Amino acid sequence: MTRTDLRNILHIDMDAFYASVEQRDNPSLRGKPLVVGGGSNRGVVAAASYEAREYGIHSAMPMRDALRRCPDLLRVPPRIGHYKSVSEEIFAIFREFTPLVEGLSLDEAFLDVTDSLALFGSDIEIAKEIKKRVVDTTALTASVGVAPNKLVAKIASDLDKPDGLVVVSAEEIRSTLDPLPVRVIPGIGRKTLARLKEKDIVTVADLRLASDRVLEPIFGRFAQKTRDQASGVDSRPVVSSRPEKSISAEETFDADLTETNAMDRQLMRLAERTANRLRSKDLVAGTVQVKIRQADFTTFTRQRALRPPGNSTDQIFEIVRILLRQWLSEHPGARIRLLGVGGSDLSAAEQRDLFAGDAMPAGSHLDETADKIRDRFGESSVNRARTLDSGQIR
Amino acid sequence: MKFTASREALLKPLQAVIGVVERRQTMPILANVLLVAKDDRVSVTATDLEVELVASMEAEIGGAGEITVSGRKLLDICRALPEQAELAVQLSGEKLSIKSGRSKFTLATLPAADFPTVEDINARQTLALPQATLATLLDKTHFSMAQQDVRYYLNGLLVETDGKYLRAVATDGHRLALCQVQLDGKKMPQQQVIVPRKGVLELQRLMSGEGDVELQLGSNHIRIELDGIRFTSKLIDGRFPEYERVIPQDTSNHLTADRQLLRGALQRTAILSNEKYRGIRLIIRDGGVILQAHNPEQEEAEEELEVSYKGEHIEIGFNVNYLLDALGAIDSDEVILAVVDGNSSCLLQMPGNEDCKYVVMPMRL
Repeated sequence: MTRTDLRNILHIDMDAFYASVEQRDNPSLRGKPLVVGGGSNRGVVAAASYEAREYGIHSAMPMRDALRRCPDLLRVPPRIGHYKSVSEEIFAIFREFTPLVEGLSLDEAFLDVTDSLALFGSDIEIAKEIKKRVVDTTALTASVGVAPNKLVAKIASDLDKPDGLVVVSAEEIRSTLDPLPVRVIPGIGRKTLARLKEKDIVTVADLRLASDRVLEPIFGRFAQKTRDQASGVDSRPVVSSRPEKSISAEETFDADLTETNAMDRQLMRLAERTANRLRSKDLVAGTVQVKIRQADFTTFTRQRALRPPGNSTDQIFEIVRILLRQWLSEHPGARIRLLGVGGSDLSAAEQRDLFAGDAMPAGSHLDETADKIRDRFGESSVNRARTLDSGQIR
Repeated sequence: MKFTASREALLKPLQAVIGVVERRQTMPILANVLLVAKDDRVSVTATDLEVELVASMEAEIGGAGEITVSGRKLLDICRALPEQAELAVQLSGEKLSIKSGRSKFTLATLPAADFPTVEDINARQTLALPQATLATLLDKTHFSMAQQDVRYYLNGLLVETDGKYLRAVATDGHRLALCQVQLDGKKMPQQQVIVPRKGVLELQRLMSGEGDVELQLGSNHIRIELDGIRFTSKLIDGRFPEYERVIPQDTSNHLTADRQLLRGALQRTAILSNEKYRGIRLIIRDGGVILQAHNPEQEEAEEELEVSYKGEHIEIGFNVNYLLDALGAIDSDEVILAVVDGNSSCLLQMPGNEDCKYVVMPMRL
């Protein structure tokens, strides 16, 4: 089995998160049926406390229905900003155990702790420790599923709510999933559920053992994937969702640079790499910096704002070139060992550019084309002429 | 050099040119104005090496000559003297003396020969047009110029002659404004110049809207004569983007709205948009448009506006400032928004008028 097939994954789900935060902050709400949701009767339930759930109230239920089930229901308007800050405290705890934290929402995350075992002990110990830290810090409880992949971890965290800890080892996957109702498999909604029931497919085991003839009319080309899921197979990696603070590229040179032409060539290459990475993540930089290390290892950084924030190679190169020129005028005769180019103050490239197409005399269209070529043929498949030295030009 | 003039006569040219007198003095002489006395007139010149302004006045010349003195101090002296005061100005040695009634001022000077001026700009063409026409071109486009963009050729206004048309185009890469006028008479050669932002703003300040102007386009300078003031600006040496290619041609989905109503709705909705990105969502469908905005504090604004629209259901996001700027420059009662889809640029125009065009790129929302 490859590495992605057997990992130590935690799925952590805060119990009735919004409602629990409200009950924690306001003792008069504790022990009572409570929902968080929009003010009017036309709104929907955003979160329900466990007391409210006993009335069959669940999130996304229309507020009118919830009130019919429980006329004494307490309603609290949501305070998303507040939940966000509580969520940040919780996620900070997760990140103490692994950098691989993939947030699904404010109250739910996957953690890959495979590489953390040597430091913190087994995955079960890590899960227990995280639960304890979360309670100690926020007075809130979480349910945790521990499994060799994301699919099973997520199913497991839901098996013993609230305040649960369910561990499913690779050997136990089949015996754990088989008796569960098919709706635990992601993507199986009410309609599919009804169609499966017609074919007497009720449990995950039924689904796992069903023939193609039965599954294909229902799932089409996803039939095989669905069967894999019913067998607890999932190779999706945990992708860290933490926003990046900066993107940069740097290089130490074999021989120290003393000529500005050679420096410009390297700057252009580094600007290209930085800009390319910004574009691939759909980010723009509001600040551009250059890092300069001299032969004696003294290191400088110089930065300048980029307004409006941008990600084109030319924009970034132009700024770092000016910054390096200014630095050189203060340090004549410098021998440069390392150069770095970076972008920070990152934001999503929300405003589209008029000239990202083909109207700019030299600019974005070139970037777009070069990015495509590199994606296909590799990093060094296309270079700007000014990154080449004269020996490379024939 | 020697001349006499009234306080009011000297104030007028000084006030006209003071805007380009450098406050940050990179060269000491740029804090000065050049005074030239000759043939019953005194001219006052100021420059920041990018924009040069020359204004002149009638005066009684006792001796021709030229000299430079601090522009700021000369203006302050004139302002502080009583109304209708007569000033006697005379250069003696390296000092300039100003006498008026019982007041006497002696100012330090720098030689006129050291003052950088632009003489002949080698104009490729000279155009005469009403000042109001030029003012309209600038007013309807200047707000789309970039500010301190590293794409330096965007930090200015494209002035273009093309056959019958005199055209102004400004863009900051996110939106574009174009306005053109037809000049009577001769056909003009194709010529493009980029006037730097500072020059455009200074020129707008000078225009009163009366009379005619003479416009000269050279390869390194633009020069405009108006109201006894000569404005000269260096040009930005660069190639302006091919703007025609970003003006949408396929504009099948037309929305026609009352301009003031749309503007009001946008202004209200914008209150709760993200302060940094100013994003606003337009949901456009048959007969109406819904405007929505929300901010990081989870506050929301929504407004529905009746418009005439028959076309596809389109959801599109914009920086609301760009739409408001364009709607502010349009002066018809109704406005047409032509949209293609949620990812493509949108064109704002006046009904039945092809001479002014506003293109705005959407945001991802």
